[in-house]
Amino acid sequence: MPRTRTTKKLAQRIDMNYFTRPHPLRRWRFRLSVALPVLAALWLGWHAVRGDARPYLSGGLSPAHALLTARCETCHVRSGSEFSAGASDAACLTCHDGPPHHATAAFTPSCASCHVEHRGAVRLAATADATCTQCHADLHTSGGPTTFVSNISSFATQHPEFAVLRAGGPDPNGIKLNHYRHMQPNLAGPSGAGPQGSVQLICQDCHRTPADTRAWPYASGAPAAGIAAGNGAISNSTTGNSLLAPGPSAAYMAAPAYAQACAACHTLEFDRRFSEGVPHDKPEVIHAFLVQKFQAYIAVHPAELREPRQPGRDIAGKPIPPEYRILMPTQWVAEHTGEAEQLLWRKTCNQCHILDWAEGATLPAIRPSSLTVRFMPHARFDHAAHQGLTCASCHASAATSQESADLLLPGIATCQQCHRPEEQAAESRCFECHTYHDGSKRQAVPGRFTLPELTDRMARPSPVGSRRGNY
Amino acid sequence: MRIDSTHKPWLWISSTILAVALLLYVFFRTPRALGSQGGTPLGLGFGIAGFTFMIFAGLLGARKKVPVWRVGRAQTWMRGHLWLGLLALPLILFHGGFHLGGALTSALMVLLIVVVASGIFGAVLQHYLPTVMTRELPLETIYEQIDSVRAQLLAEADERVAAIESAAPLAEFYSRRLRPYLENPSAREQPLAGADQAQAAFAQLRTLVPPELHETLGDLENICEEERQLTRQVQLHHWLHAWLLLHVPLSLALLLLGAAHAIMALRY
Amino acid sequence: MIELSIDGRKVSVPAGTTVFDAARINGIAIPTLCHQQNETPVGVCRVCVVDVGARVFTASCVRPVEPGMNVSTDSDRVRAARRTLVELLMSDHPSPCARQQHSGGCELETLAKLSGVTKPRFAPRGSSRGQDDSSLAIAVALDACILCDRCIRGCDDIRGNFVLGRMGKGAQTRIAFDNDKPMGDSSCVSCGECMVSCPTGALTNKFVVSTALPAAPGSEPVAPEELLALPLFKNISGTFLELNQRAVLKRHFRRGEVICREGEYGSTAFYILEGKARVSLSSPIAYVKTQGGARGFFSKLTSALAGRSADRREEEGNQRSIPIDAPVDLAYDNPVAELGPGDMFGEMTCMNFYPRSATVRAETDCTMLEMLRNVLDILQRNKTFRAQMDETYRRRALDSHLRNVPLFAKLNPEFLDHLRERVELVRFAPGQTICRQNDPADSFYLVRLGFVKVSENYPGGELVLAYLSRGDYFGEIGLLGGGPRIATCTALDHVEVVRICGEDFAEMIAQFPEVRSGLEQVAQERQEANRQRMSLVRSVPLEYFLAQGLMEAQSLLVLDLEKCTRCDNCVRACADAHDGVTRLVREGLRFDKYLVATSCRQCRDPLCMVGCPVGSIRRRNSLEVIIEDWCIGCGLCAQNCPYGNINLHPFTVQAEDPGAPGRQVATVRQKATSCDLCTEHAEPSCVYACPHDAAHRVDPRKYFAPLLGTGTGAAKS
Repeated sequence: MPRTRTTKKLAQRIDMNYFTRPHPLRRWRFRLSVALPVLAALWLGWHAVRGDARPYLSGGLSPAHALLTARCETCHVRSGSEFSAGASDAACLTCHDGPPHHATAAFTPSCASCHVEHRGAVRLAATADATCTQCHADLHTSGGPTTFVSNISSFATQHPEFAVLRAGGPDPNGIKLNHYRHMQPNLAGPSGAGPQGSVQLICQDCHRTPADTRAWPYASGAPAAGIAAGNGAISNSTTGNSLLAPGPSAAYMAAPAYAQACAACHTLEFDRRFSEGVPHDKPEVIHAFLVQKFQAYIAVHPAELREPRQPGRDIAGKPIPPEYRILMPTQWVAEHTGEAEQLLWRKTCNQCHILDWAEGATLPAIRPSSLTVRFMPHARFDHAAHQGLTCASCHASAATSQESADLLLPGIATCQQCHRPEEQAAESRCFECHTYHDGSKRQAVPGRFTLPELTDRMARPSPVGSRRGNY
Repeated sequence: MRIDSTHKPWLWISSTILAVALLLYVFFRTPRALGSQGGTPLGLGFGIAGFTFMIFAGLLGARKKVPVWRVGRAQTWMRGHLWLGLLALPLILFHGGFHLGGALTSALMVLLIVVVASGIFGAVLQHYLPTVMTRELPLETIYEQIDSVRAQLLAEADERVAAIESAAPLAEFYSRRLRPYLENPSAREQPLAGADQAQAAFAQLRTLVPPELHETLGDLENICEEERQLTRQVQLHHWLHAWLLLHVPLSLALLLLGAAHAIMALRY
Repeated sequence: MIELSIDGRKVSVPAGTTVFDAARINGIAIPTLCHQQNETPVGVCRVCVVDVGARVFTASCVRPVEPGMNVSTDSDRVRAARRTLVELLMSDHPSPCARQQHSGGCELETLAKLSGVTKPRFAPRGSSRGQDDSSLAIAVALDACILCDRCIRGCDDIRGNFVLGRMGKGAQTRIAFDNDKPMGDSSCVSCGECMVSCPTGALTNKFVVSTALPAAPGSEPVAPEELLALPLFKNISGTFLELNQRAVLKRHFRRGEVICREGEYGSTAFYILEGKARVSLSSPIAYVKTQGGARGFFSKLTSALAGRSADRREEEGNQRSIPIDAPVDLAYDNPVAELGPGDMFGEMTCMNFYPRSATVRAETDCTMLEMLRNVLDILQRNKTFRAQMDETYRRRALDSHLRNVPLFAKLNPEFLDHLRERVELVRFAPGQTICRQNDPADSFYLVRLGFVKVSENYPGGELVLAYLSRGDYFGEIGLLGGGPRIATCTALDHVEVVRICGEDFAEMIAQFPEVRSGLEQVAQERQEANRQRMSLVRSVPLEYFLAQGLMEAQSLLVLDLEKCTRCDNCVRACADAHDGVTRLVREGLRFDKYLVATSCRQCRDPLCMVGCPVGSIRRRNSLEVIIEDWCIGCGLCAQNCPYGNINLHPFTVQAEDPGAPGRQVATVRQKATSCDLCTEHAEPSCVYACPHDAAHRVDPRKYFAPLLGTGTGAAKS
């Protein structure tokens, strides 16, 4: 009898309770479903027991804060029973000083909103442009309209021309200088070629940063004196020959000083009887110098008291002076001082300075030279960072400038040639030149960590604000 | 489950959600430099939506434990699980801004990708394999009972052979080749496990035994065929169900770690 | 006195004596075949022919003597004639016949041997006249019949049953029962007279093995005389009892002994002579649940939470009794009753081999008669017995049965008393139609014993609505005298019904008008239900549908194998919805790409319902088959279901330890379970819980119509 398949036979082969007994596939599924979450819980639990929150970090801390990785409470301060605790400003301010930006700022963003941690080893100070443009893209202040440009959103595309250039005004200095003439070859001083003969000046012969300690080629032999003495090299003796000796700033060019840049060619002779010139000093000092010089001379050369007539010096229309004049020494000194002063005030000094004569004054007032060292008070510029470039590559207009009133500061376009938002370009984010925090209001913040706190994994720093002063 | 035209409404809804999410992400996301995107309002929205979908997907297991509770048809739950679970992946990717983040979040992202990938794999298997099984295995039975059925087949074969006065070739064939196969069909080197070999063996045997035994031979051949199909059924069943060993435990770990992440991220 | 000579001897006999008798009186034996002393002679076999000097020989058994007759009984010519006759008879005789084999007492063969007939010269008959095995007691082998008429005369003249007769003509003549019915279906009372009369092996006693009850401790055989002394056996044939002595035993039971247990299969009925017995159901009246353990706990929890309401029984009205195989029914609330002397129980088990419906335990020391079917059969045909059973039934159970009919529930006792006396107890044989669809309705029926099939015919086939058993009723339309019957009722086995005639009833309700309005309401409801039912039925030709029994189904659970991932969620859901016992098995034959799961098919003809001893499997008006909680776990429905959709589920209960009464011990019981379509939910749980849209409960003809080319509808039921 052949095999038959009927529903009843098939159904009766089956045990009615088969589904209540778990089969290996189901059993293993159950076991794994218990094991894997338990493993995951163990992983988290292990870290919880050890007290570190490393699994929960969304990124590493910046190098400066790396020691605090295990100490979340340092920044994530939780008060009482609140659930959520971001990095509070108070926590940042316990160690750092973050002076506010402007009194009229519309709002003060939180520290963490600009200085974003947990992004790995980044520079915290390197804030994103968005943190600045959140205000400056459409600037409103709490004190009414502002003089600052109101929509700046990026250096490359929407940054105004530098303020001083925008004003278009003249360089507010009190010196007369023609850069063009000075850049010509075979240059000689007003009194003829100096001791080096005709020269070709280069920018660094006059313009140097204080850190530049090379010898000035056109300095006078006399020790530097007077105003704008420029910061000579600060002696390094206190630190010996350390590689890390702090040095003077190399950011801004010092204002050129007469003694270093001009003295070799612009000599200050005043009389054929003397080879030296007057000191580069105030008119009173010069006057006193002249008087003293002439007095000393006439005392030694009394014969000069008898002055013959010099027909060459006759002035038409005026009565002819006597053949001889016998002068009293004081008179002789006064006359010759006056003559020397005439020469100086009207020619020598006047060549570079602007002299103002007050009503009834015997001596002029020399207008302050007011050479601007920093043209951009709201931005940082560091010549040292740019020392790879030639001066003319940025200050191109200097070679053709003939007026002292010319502003020879390069415009933003020059900077934008290198400082672009591309990756293979120079940094163009806001923080590169500007700063948020008002440096003038900095205050020192006492330190609060002890070494064991930072180095012992299990030690906990004391709560914020529990210590005053540092000891 | 076959993904057929009845899934269309779900497809439309999911595509819409995805498109909206994509638009929101592209136009409104915060740049990374301003901090991790998961914590921004939009990021939180994505995170919550994604986690909600994951929880719903996880609840399918619970739903299957109470099949008679009238809380929605199992079919609806299953389709929801498939489509909304699939959506969880892009939403979480948007939530994290396509960054892996720290240890926990990297683990979560990896888990999510593995779970969704295994789910897609499983869905594909469930789309194609049932048809294959139906076509190839007309004699299939219930997987959990295969051992019991095999024992019954063996007993039946023994009975049939005992009931006849076996001719010598049949007896020999039975004891040397067929019975060992029936006792242990999944062992290696079972020549009768191959359809062609079995057919040839039986054809040859038919020439050696008298005609009155052909019916028994036919029955034995039938039993042999059933064994073969059962072996194949075990294989296909394992394919159809083994991926769950990966998918389910990992998804539970995912939910646990996801909850931990949500809590801790909101705390800090 | 007449003087004649027989074989040369002078004899003198009274007038009217036959030649045979005259010879017999005077010590001369004439061989006969068709003549029997206690029967009127008919002279058909001619074996008794004698030579009386006439032209032809004469049959001595019918020829009266005449004066001066010269009878020769043994002459050569007579002997030769006799021999030829015997030879002719032997040529058709299947030698050795049954009687000859059993006892060597076949008169024909004996005569043949005596006559020296060894091998007849004549060719035997071409065709057999047949055999009739239908009677329990008597085997009928017509090939051995010599048409001697003895059986007919015995049945008619001696017994007065008038069952046997001749049928046919010429060579096709044979004996027949009633109008040619099989003997077992006829009105034959198995008295055995014909068998005893038959000279050959045509009618012989059946020595069936089971006609002997095994001797058990406390049992003793009963002498037929003792039985005949009982009023129960009045008018029963002593011969029959004699021949079936071991089919009846007297059993003694001590107090507390269990006589029979519910669910066991048996073949005997019991009649209580002395003592009292307690009949009860020991299966707990509850639905089957899983055992403990996590699986059990969770499934019970989910079952409870799934809000599965307790089984509603609004269609039943107030049926609060469980019908069993005894003169009384058991009340649902307290399934215990008492039986006393004169009560018979186990009739259904004995007649139809159904499982025992209840547990019977002796309350006091009892003496009972235990009998096999052949004896009970005889009793049931006996008018005295039937009258006695009628009376018991009327007294004990009819009242509660009538009350169970919602119509009569609120009747006052007077009316019921009235009614009780007017009912008629009618028996039907298996297959007999009780009432037919579209016939005018004129009676109301209440089933006392047996199974009745209620079916409707519609174009395309027959729809079985229900199988009714003890305590069920049908035909109340008939009581109103209105309308044709809406269904056909057929007796499936030996059925006994209580019939109330329409006229009687009309008379009665004239006295009690409130009954009429109740009736009308019920009639309306029934007709409405019927209309709804008919509308479910389509007239698709059934023969287009494939075999596998799918056309029998009204609802199939099909699993689309191309979507099914074999995850077993459907099975688990079914188990959860049913206290941890699944009603579906994910195995079966396939149809196209569908697996037809093993789960109740709501067959048009629910074979499962036939034979339930306690009537716990029934069909609701919405056509799903349910199993009530008093199922005793006999397993008959599970056996009957051809698809294996009903399964028995074991569970342990604390029951009385049979060996140590008073102590409780855990025993394993079983109950049958089957799919009930989860009617309290909108959708079956299996379909609801399938995550892959693979499980569907469908009406197969609609759903598969496209496949079968019979339409486009594929709606799910």
